Amino acid sequence: MICAPFTKDKQMKQFVFTRTFSGIPTLFGMTLIGFLIIGLTPGDPIEMELRRLGVAFSAEQVEALRVEYGLNKPLIQRYFLWLFDLFRLDLGTSIASGRPVLELFKEHLPITATLSVLAFMSSLALSLGLGGVTAVSQRTSLSTGLYVLTMFLVSVPSFWLALFLLAVFALGLGWFKLLQFGNPQDLILPTITLSLGHSAVMSRLVRERIIAVMSEDYIRLAIAKGLTRRAILGRHVFKSILPPLITNWAISFGSLLGGSVIVENIFNLPGLGQMALQAIAERDFAILQAYLLFMGLVFFLANFVADLMNHWLTPQIKKGDNGLR
Amino acid sequence: MAYVDTTSSLLISRGTKLIKGRTSFLLGGFFLSVFIVLAIGGEALAPNSPNQIDLLHRLSAPSLTYPLGTDHLGRCILSRLMVGTSLSLGTALATAGLILAIALPVGLLAALCKGWVDAVLMRVADIFLAFPMLVFALAIIGYLGASLTSAVVGVALAWWPSLARLVRTLTLDAASKQYVLASRQCGLKPLTIIRRHILPQILPPLLVVLSLEMAGLLLVLSSLSFLGLGAQPPAAEWGAMLNEARPFFAERPSVVLAPGLVITLAVLSFNLVGEGIRNQLDKRKPYQW
Repeated sequence: MICAPFTKDKQMKQFVFTRTFSGIPTLFGMTLIGFLIIGLTPGDPIEMELRRLGVAFSAEQVEALRVEYGLNKPLIQRYFLWLFDLFRLDLGTSIASGRPVLELFKEHLPITATLSVLAFMSSLALSLGLGGVTAVSQRTSLSTGLYVLTMFLVSVPSFWLALFLLAVFALGLGWFKLLQFGNPQDLILPTITLSLGHSAVMSRLVRERIIAVMSEDYIRLAIAKGLTRRAILGRHVFKSILPPLITNWAISFGSLLGGSVIVENIFNLPGLGQMALQAIAERDFAILQAYLLFMGLVFFLANFVADLMNHWLTPQIKKGDNGLR
Repeated sequence: MAYVDTTSSLLISRGTKLIKGRTSFLLGGFFLSVFIVLAIGGEALAPNSPNQIDLLHRLSAPSLTYPLGTDHLGRCILSRLMVGTSLSLGTALATAGLILAIALPVGLLAALCKGWVDAVLMRVADIFLAFPMLVFALAIIGYLGASLTSAVVGVALAWWPSLARLVRTLTLDAASKQYVLASRQCGLKPLTIIRRHILPQILPPLLVVLSLEMAGLLLVLSSLSFLGLGAQPPAAEWGAMLNEARPFFAERPSVVLAPGLVITLAVLSFNLVGEGIRNQLDKRKPYQW
């Protein structure tokens, strides 16, 4: 903390550089997996397409088309051609609708992005509150009640929670319309559904971290010194639970992205998840591939940002040692 | 107050001692044993045949013949839930087995071969972990086509890397024990060492971790069935039942709420047992205000 801003900045740059560099092989591996899901698709895509169009075709025509689309080349060459297209954001064409995948993506992305970010923000606040209360005062009836509640919320499948909320607020009270999307307020119930289950899972991690820190000797010392509860929680506990929690939050962002598929499906929101589900039903592999790669990239970036934040928050990781030397 | 030490008060004090701090474990264990009984004898205990269609009593309210009412085809919901236990829990168990079957060899190879084998295998695990779990499972299911088998394969392929890492860590620890080194010097074959010395060390903690993950597996698999990507409709799987009942949700919400409640209860019982085990192992004493 005392070190000059200049050195800090330099170390930070170096860290960003090495972290980016070490991430590249993983990114390449991800594109390889994404490519193989189409490259190894059972059945010849050209023949499938021709059958779908109902065109009578001969073996020579199929062969000519294969040459035209570059499908006669070896798999490894096709991978690099495909990768080149990917860098130019050419994600291919959807077989079912005949439209470019990128266009479909732009159409469906806003809803999923809004939903995930809203749910992430609200679960961040909710999990800190829930975890903090259940960890700090374990013997009060309030924290026991909250603990039972989180235990229940962790176990409830999100689709059931969604249907339950619909039964109460849409069917029972009539506050929301059933399965309709058009206005911003139609995102309220989906966000609540997604963030409730998520924040319950996260609050257990927060609780776990706080308990671990509160069992440390230096907290005992702080209490013996007569520091107020606020000072201990704010100065010591919060500071030391934050770095591991940032990592957990980044990882949990992945489950949020996955969970949005279920929520979008129930509330009939035209987001990326719905698009992917439709692609599975129509065996539209170009969309599925783009979806997998995009979600992987977002998840990758979330982990990357978490690493940067941790690096910035904890000086001891910076030097590349574990503090034992 | 006088010192009364009757048999009943002694029993009560002993009882509270037994329950104190173990409430979650006992509660979870009780529910879990009910589910296990249902998984084995669900067919025999069910009041009606799970696939018997009664079109005169479609979507009926709970009655004596149909304790939880009927679904859109007039099938008894309670019977279907009871019979579905074995399929729902069995799928989760099969997935856990498949995960172990992938993670165990990978983790063992990485830890025992070291060097480039270790580097490559762990890099592959990293790449699999780089995708959000459910998204990756969806892609695999899309590739294989929607069915219960592909759901199991998809979830297992998305889930194995974290367990493989655990196997690797445990094996590294187990292989560094003195007697393992000694048996290597005695010239025992690697497979014999693994079977005799390493597996007995790593399997117990692995199985505990895997049983803790059962709750998560159950949730993911039922979610996939709910999306229509897992068990397919005529099957009495809990998630699939929910999916089938969705169009009739507005007409009779209980058709949908009952299977969901059973899933919740099953997941909850696994979580409670896990929580109980963790509490027993937890020796920390955090400061409490």
